[in-house]
Amino acid sequence: MLLKPIIFIWFLYNLCTIQIKVAFSTTAKVGSVRKSKCFDYCFRCRCFLNLDEGSGKDGCCTLIMRAGKPGSLMMLEPGKPPPAKKARKERTRGKLTGTTISTEIMDQQVWKDFPEDLFEAVIARLPIAAFFRFRSVCRKWDSLLTSQSFSQQCEQVPQLQPWFYTITHENVNTGAMYDPTLKKWHHPTVPALPTKLIVLPVASAGGLVCFLDIGHRSFYVCNPLTRSFKELPARSVHVWSRVAVGMTLNEKSTSGGYKILWVGCDGEYEVYDSTKNSWARPGCMPSSVKLPLALNFRSHAVSIDRTLYFMRSDPDGIVSYEMGSGLWKQYIVPAPLHLSDHTLAECRGRIMLVGLLTKNAATCVCIWELQKMTLLWKEVDRMPNEWCLEFYGKHVRMTCLGNKDLLMLSIRSRQMNRLVTYNVSRREWLKVPGCVLPRGRKRQWIACGTAFQPCLTALA
Amino acid sequence: MIVLQSSDKETFEVEEAVAMESQTIKHMIEDDCVDTSIPLPNVTSKTLAKVIVYCKKHVVKDKTCDHEEELKKFDVEFMKGLDQDTLFDLILAANYLNIKSLLDLTCQTVADMIKDKSPEEIRKIFNIKNDFTPEEEDAVRQENAWAFE
Repeated sequence: MLLKPIIFIWFLYNLCTIQIKVAFSTTAKVGSVRKSKCFDYCFRCRCFLNLDEGSGKDGCCTLIMRAGKPGSLMMLEPGKPPPAKKARKERTRGKLTGTTISTEIMDQQVWKDFPEDLFEAVIARLPIAAFFRFRSVCRKWDSLLTSQSFSQQCEQVPQLQPWFYTITHENVNTGAMYDPTLKKWHHPTVPALPTKLIVLPVASAGGLVCFLDIGHRSFYVCNPLTRSFKELPARSVHVWSRVAVGMTLNEKSTSGGYKILWVGCDGEYEVYDSTKNSWARPGCMPSSVKLPLALNFRSHAVSIDRTLYFMRSDPDGIVSYEMGSGLWKQYIVPAPLHLSDHTLAECRGRIMLVGLLTKNAATCVCIWELQKMTLLWKEVDRMPNEWCLEFYGKHVRMTCLGNKDLLMLSIRSRQMNRLVTYNVSRREWLKVPGCVLPRGRKRQWIACGTAFQPCLTALA
Repeated sequence: MIVLQSSDKETFEVEEAVAMESQTIKHMIEDDCVDTSIPLPNVTSKTLAKVIVYCKKHVVKDKTCDHEEELKKFDVEFMKGLDQDTLFDLILAANYLNIKSLLDLTCQTVADMIKDKSPEEIRKIFNIKNDFTPEEEDAVRQENAWAFE
């Protein structure tokens, strides 16, 4: 066996990482196939990264891990040139339109005559946290949340990335919110929900989050940013067994109302209509859906247009409900082997599956896409190998927060809780900074949560 | 071709489609209340020239991905070179002429300029009176303290 170490030392001009490319070429015993292994050494993380996975051919791998600010490790696909400029942009913490625009000194002589009626158009385009800071400018700016015209302005602004509302192990009463654009955790001063409630988020739509108390009795709807809050009227059941929940909007925003559906294992279901503020039973589960309905409660229902998709087992597959027609359908889809902690997700109308794949002692996070013609799951992506190595030999659990376009994965073993976001359309894995209280140092453990669209004017 | 006349009596000849990017001008033309040229007493020639450059670029209704990217790049460059005076005049012109995309773009630019400032700086820049009582102001700050962290 020949060992020819070739060491290349490349100094990136921003001196953020030093990569040592170590290429070993070995001749395999079987045949004369030459396999070269490339290792990248990242001084920041102090680890050798085995880039074996991506290198299909002989010679060097082009898979590069780039480290920007702590917590923004990003994987690139093999063959793609490293976007040097992107790393720097990430480091300027979300100033996407230019590095100096927000530090420019504004000339009061110019801006003192800014027309009153145009303020709303500007304020609606501020980052969410900036809006809340500026509420203390004057009474008018403080009261914009209840202004109809401001609400209309907000609806016109293109939707941003969702935020994540999380429940931590340390404090089940107040939620910590994560902004993936600025990679910042926020800890609201006043909790969004009355503190005596212990509730879990089960669905979200249009900027509102639906909560169910741990006894599965009462539903609550809340806008986590503005604390607009409502307890839904009581359901017409007497047995409080566990239910799966889905939420849809009637129109493009919550101003048109929303519907919430719960379904139980016995096939019973009800729909709440916010415009009528009441529950209704639109019909019965058809015989085509096998009962008992073994629902996957940890997987939040996916909503595409106005259809909800729930995961079931026995048989493995998906059950869908169309809000307009009230029709239930069942799709039998065999589950991938060695799968656990799986949830449904969606991206641009395509149904995805996220889950842990455990084989022998190795665990990996995998993403599948549903092939509509064959009703089979096809693996489309995996968490980078280097990150999965951390879980080797450990018993790992995973919770998926959010199920549309951008997901947050909370991966827990006995002693650690890793947080990662996954952008489904860009196939981008990003590390999430630890959730730490202000003036605190201890990282909070994320138990569960949901994604929500940050919408200032969504009313419960 | 349409002739537009600025407040300082300068005239600009533009294609009808370009002029109709402005809903105000579009309604004037459709309502048949203009003859040879359209007077715009609220817009100076300097500003009108810039507006016309913007409208000429945005009049092409090509929905392809490449064209969208091209427009985005144009918008960034268009905003980059502006001094604050011109930006201010452009917002007012976009509002008066009712050119939604230009108004959105200019308002977004202003939002980006002020987003990292403090509430005190905002009041100073826009000459806004602080009409909170000290207790009220404290309460609002306390309630929204999380956004300051």
